[in-house]
Amino acid sequence: MARVIGVDIPNDKRLEISLTYIFGVGRKTALDVCRDLNLDPGMKSRELNEEQVTAIATHLQKTYNVEGELRRSLAQAITRLRDIGCYRGLRHRRGLPVRGQRTRTNARSRKGPKKTVAGKKSIKK
Amino acid sequence: MSRSIKKGPFIDAKLEKKVLAQNEAGTKNPITTWARACTISPDFIGHIFMVHDGRRHVKVAVNEDMVGHKLGEFAPSRVFRGHTNKKEGAKGGR
Repeated sequence: MARVIGVDIPNDKRLEISLTYIFGVGRKTALDVCRDLNLDPGMKSRELNEEQVTAIATHLQKTYNVEGELRRSLAQAITRLRDIGCYRGLRHRRGLPVRGQRTRTNARSRKGPKKTVAGKKSIKK
Repeated sequence: MSRSIKKGPFIDAKLEKKVLAQNEAGTKNPITTWARACTISPDFIGHIFMVHDGRRHVKVAVNEDMVGHKLGEFAPSRVFRGHTNKKEGAKGGR
């Protein structure tokens, strides 16, 4: 199995798919990389030789924000919002949806599993 | 939908005038304002605004990280004091 950028070990899927296992690379970026490096998106990543693996790695790190670097910049953006005390920062602090979604129902991705409150009236009548 | 770039950021004209006047005079007195929708421009850095939250004016000290946000984002207009507790009843709001 090929190792591209540290931890990522794409398996024996098509190259365009296995590249998306890298954080920050989706289908679009994967295809762009294949095109830029003249690689066949349909080839299995097992068929990559070492040269090509290194080429992909350097190309990704040079052109895109991926993996650790991307995670860091995301975390920094959120920390900035928290620190300046703006509305979005407050929502991040409380673990509630940030972009104005309803919270009367749903919003479970942000709020986590349901916490049932005894005696609470159900919403539907 | 976000604002058209063609128009540039919305900066309240009167407020900007007051800030620029203070910049000229070199003073940093708090400016009371209702212009929550006003984008914070780089000129505003270091100034103190009293931003209306619907009831009173909340003190907002602008630093450089806040540029590009709106004044209202720093003066929450809703106060959440937790849910009602059956034993204690509704918590009193101010």
